[in-house]
Parts: sequence; structure tokens; C-alpha cells
Amino acid sequence: MTTPKDAPVPRPAAEPDDAPPKAPVRDAPVRRLHPLTFVVGAAREMAALIGAGATGLLVGGLSTAFYFALIGLAFGLAWHLGTWATFTYHVHEDRFQTRRALVARTVKSIPRERIRGVDISSTLGHRLLGLAIVHVDAGADGGEIVLNAVALREAERLRKVLLARAPVTEIPPPVAKRRRELAHIRRRWFLYAPLSGAYLLTPFALAGSLLGTLYNLGDDLGLITRDRVEHLGRDAAGLPTGVVVLVIMLFLVAMPVASVIAFTLFNWDFTVYQRDGSIVAERGLVTRRSVALERRRVRGVELADNPFERVAGVVRLGALVTGLGDAAHRGRLLPAAPRAVAVELASRVLGPVPGPLVPHPEAARGRRLVRATAPPLVAAALCAAAGNLWLAGVSSLAAVLAVPLGLDRYRQLGHADDGVRLTVRSGSLRRRQYVVEHDAIVGWRIRRTLFQRRAGLATLHAAVGAGEGGCAAVDVSEADAVALAWSITPDWITPFLAPPRPAKRFRRTPSHLPEPPPASTGTS
Amino acid sequence: MRLREPANRVSPRAIAHWAIEYLLFWGLGFGLAWGVAAWLGGRPRDGVPRWITAHIGWLPVAVGVVGVLVVTVAPVWRYRVHRWEVSADVVYTRTGWFSREWLLVPVSRIQNVHTEQGWLERLLGLARLRVHTASHTGSSEVSGLRVRDATRLAEDLAHRAHDPSDDAT
Repeated sequence: MTTPKDAPVPRPAAEPDDAPPKAPVRDAPVRRLHPLTFVVGAAREMAALIGAGATGLLVGGLSTAFYFALIGLAFGLAWHLGTWATFTYHVHEDRFQTRRALVARTVKSIPRERIRGVDISSTLGHRLLGLAIVHVDAGADGGEIVLNAVALREAERLRKVLLARAPVTEIPPPVAKRRRELAHIRRRWFLYAPLSGAYLLTPFALAGSLLGTLYNLGDDLGLITRDRVEHLGRDAAGLPTGVVVLVIMLFLVAMPVASVIAFTLFNWDFTVYQRDGSIVAERGLVTRRSVALERRRVRGVELADNPFERVAGVVRLGALVTGLGDAAHRGRLLPAAPRAVAVELASRVLGPVPGPLVPHPEAARGRRLVRATAPPLVAAALCAAAGNLWLAGVSSLAAVLAVPLGLDRYRQLGHADDGVRLTVRSGSLRRRQYVVEHDAIVGWRIRRTLFQRRAGLATLHAAVGAGEGGCAAVDVSEADAVALAWSITPDWITPFLAPPRPAKRFRRTPSHLPEPPPASTGTS
Repeated sequence: MRLREPANRVSPRAIAHWAIEYLLFWGLGFGLAWGVAAWLGGRPRDGVPRWITAHIGWLPVAVGVVGVLVVTVAPVWRYRVHRWEVSADVVYTRTGWFSREWLLVPVSRIQNVHTEQGWLERLLGLARLRVHTASHTGSSEVSGLRVRDATRLAEDLAHRAHDPSDDAT
């Protein structure tokens, strides 16, 4: 099962000095961030202080406030200069280390074999100065190191050095600029933005932050008094209905438009390419972001969509990567794309998606229905018993609406396995299909509630040390759950199989999987 | 195709442990419910709908009935369900009562093992064994083991899981 790629890398205790010339790793000098770092880092504070100073100058002439602002500016500059001068990073043979020694001395180091990913991103300011931010990620518990600003070339070099964890001699030489593009976003796909809920809310977020900034600014300048706020409230309450309707209409029109704009900002020129054993995803218009995922840590993919996206045939693709923090954002491989494209990319990154999916037993439909409708029904009964008929009516309506939801949830259940990868699908409002490599599975959990036991069903969880910790085949029949796990890891299951029972007391659900042959076919 | 049950039961003293735990939990719940009912009950109050204040008296009754049922039934039920077994390669456990969980974790994928004792478990001479893998879903916990068993198992598993090269991360 252990491929040569997976094999632990023997690390010689003492490295010979006559290493090939392509060995920037060893004896790398202690490096500093780019000298322009403090320009980027301090830009915000500087802007605020200069603004305050200018305001002070305008309002009060050469007053105390102005001098204070000036002193603050000087201190800020000195602080950033000092931080820059005392912050160093060093790529050691076995670890990546940063040292900060301005006031307190902080040494942070990450063992190089723990490094799971190196992100390069840049804000507008960084790009103007040719700089980039480097995030070095060492998994969920390993922490991360952020280099605030290094030259773009240095960032690329760091990424190559840190991700090539094998001793330098083992790297094949022609690594220079071999990148193979795997997928690229099309302009047309930006129109899919309103289909996903997240981008629709951007106008509200924008309006909220704009209002907040205005309020704070006004408050700082002493423009906002209790009197004025109350006045504004009365004015707003007294607005004619027509104006209110107009504002709401404007918002309704603005929502899809703004969502497309936000989507474009985040996902402009979204490109996925392969380079040096990593999958790299680049995106963004103003802030350009590039995430490198080590190929061998990508253990699965996730295809997610909601009912609107399903109708349009659009799906989002994410990678399941072991030990990747903030996986929802950083593991993203396609923000929204036609299903065929996403499946194609998935098969290039991981391998073909197994299919077609096997539907789950009929008994699962009843269970999905009960689970969807029971909470509103119970709420309705309680409200009716307590005499609140209005709330009881609302709850009953919710229960009626939950029926199609439950039916759809059943329709979406499915699993399939092709001997190398397992795929399971569940959910309706947020449907997700996971594809997971067999090798990545670290355990099995079979869960059966009392109701599942009565219906002859079981939920099989495959534990995976990536993404959200696993994926579940919901409500398969008991025999299928065990057979599925057995077909993937026969060695783990066989010692615990019960001797075949002549006849079960009752079996309502037909078994979909054929009884696996005694000879082991899957990998363990 | 079915799984057989794991070979070993947990210590019978686990029944007492679970019973005391449930008693404390539901006792506290009952006390709170009774307090809320006494505070809200009977007369109408501002800000609380009439239909809540009129029926709040049922809350401690419901909590009490459920609590008594859980305290009397659940510990024995759990004892009958809880089983564990460690074969050459796999840790196999069955836990739960109302919902049951069968968990199979291969020793080669274990990242670390430890034992834990709460104050109640120390009084009763019990311990719980926690087995961690790279995934939360694949991490198991067996409570109600005798201290001796738990310690021996933990040492054994930690020793066998020592080779970290293949934990599928």
C-alpha cells in the first residue's frame, strides 16, 4: 500500500558538503523580509495618522494634537523599522524557523516534514511593490508562520524549497517551470454567482460595513449626537411607503448584480495547475491568492451544490487535504462550474469518480421523511396543546413543506465504490458528494439508532484524516454497511464477522451489494 | 454479512458509575426545571406569553419522568451494549444504548492513546481509554474499564502504534 512516494524519507544525519549546485536549502543564509515590508505593514496606520495629523492641522493649526500625531507617526515608523530589522527567517535542513527579537524574543519553528502547504497571496499594495505574503501551514495542530512581505521571486523560491521535502538530491532536475494547467474559469461562469447563497448576501455585508465606517467616522468627528440619531430614526419611520418599497426593490436588483461583482473579485482568472507534485489554485482580481496543495496530501474531493445549482447543472469542487487549516476556503478547486468540468477536474486531481451511485433501501425514505417532518409536527402539537393556534398553524405549514424536502433527501442518498475510491452522497439543501481514496480511511464507525435498528438500516462513517474527518453513507442496510466496509478493508473486518445466520427474523430491505467473494480484492 | 459482538464486557462497576452520573445530571436538570416553574408559574408575568405561564408546571414533571426512566434503564442497557476487543491489528468497540456505534480502528492508524479518570471513576476504580486517529470520527473511547485493563491496553496499543509512518495523513 505504501507507494515509493509515500515512503518515509530517510534523512541523513550529516549532509555531505559536495551537494549538487541546486541546493539552496542547506546553509541557507538567515534572511530578512523585504525592506519595503514596513511600507506595506505600516501603510494603514500611516494613513490614519497622516489623516489625523492633517485634520488636526486644518482644525487647530499647529496645535498639540498635530505634534502628537507627528510623534505617533515617528514612533510608528521606528517600530516598523525595528520589527523589520529584528525579524529573520531561516530555512534549516529540518525545520523552518522565524525569529522575532524586538522586545521579547520569539522563535517559532515548524519541522519541514510537517509543512502541509504554502500559500502566496498579495494585496493591492503588495502587488504594486512586487511583494507577496507567504503563509506556511503545518496542519491543524502544527500552527502556521506568516511572512508579511517578501519579494515575489523569493516567495516562489520558498514555496518550492519548503514543499520539496525530500532531500534536494532526490528532486528530478527539470522542475524549473513545468506547470500543467488543469482547469481555468470561464467568464460565463461568473453568472452562476447568484445561485449560491453566500454571494447574494454581499450587498448587505457591504452596506453594513459602509454604514459602520460612516458611523465611526462621524462619531470620531463629533457629528453624531443622540439628538440627531433619534431624529434620523423618526425620519426613517416617517418615510412614505413608496420610498421604502423603492429601496427594497433596489436591494433586490442589487443583490444578484453585487453577487456577480463579488464573485468576480474573488475568483477572477481562477486557474488550477499542477507543478512539482503540488496542485496550485490561483484566484482573485485585486488580492491575488495562490494556494499550493501537496498532491500526495489530497486524499479526496467534495462536490457540493444546492437545489438552484442542481437545476442549473452547476457544482462547487473542493479538495479534502490532510491537515489543512481553513479547508473550506483553501481547499477550493472550483468555485462554480458546470458539472462535467468539475468531474473532469476531480478525475485529474484524484482519479475517476466512481459511479453510478447505488440508491439506498426503501426504508431510508421513510426515515428521511420522519426526520424532516417530525420537529415541526412536534412543535405544532406542543403549541396546539398550549393553546397557541397561530404558532401551531405555522409549524404545521412547515411540516407540509418538509415533505418534498424529505423525499428529495432520500433521492440524493447514494454510494459507489470502484475498488480504489469510495464515494457517498447525501443532503438536499446542501447536497455533498465525497470521493475518498481507500488508503485515506483510518477507521470505520457504524451507527444505528433504535429506529434504524427497527428498520434494518445503518449509517456507515468512513473516518478520514482530511476535510471534516470523514464521510457517511447514510441509511444503508445493515448487511450492506458491513459488506461495503469489508470490500474496502477486508483485513480489518474479517476477524469480527459473525457466522452466517440461517434466517433473519425479518428483513424488509433488499441487499444491494452482492455478497463479496471470499478472496480479497480490495486494498487494505 | 454482519459483525459479531466484541469479546469483552466492561467492568460491572460501570453500571454504578453511569447511574450516579445520570442521577447527578438529571437531578440538576430537575432542580432547574422546578426553579423555573416556581418562578414563572401561576400568575401572569410581563414579557412571558400567557400560554407558557399557564403550563409551565408540567416542565418539572416531564423532566422528572424522563430522568427517572434514564437513571433506571440506561445504565443496565449500556452495560449490555458496551463491549470491546483488541485483535492483532484492530481495536473493535461497541458503545451506546439508544443509538449504538460499532467502531473499528486499525492499530496502524492510531496516533496516540491515553487513559483518563474522573473523580467518580477514581472512587470506583475505573478508567476510560481514548484512542485517537487523524480523524475525529475515527477516534474511539471506551469507558468503564478496570484501571488495570485500561493501563495495560494503553501501553500495549501505544507500543504497537509506535511506527508513525503510515497513519494516512
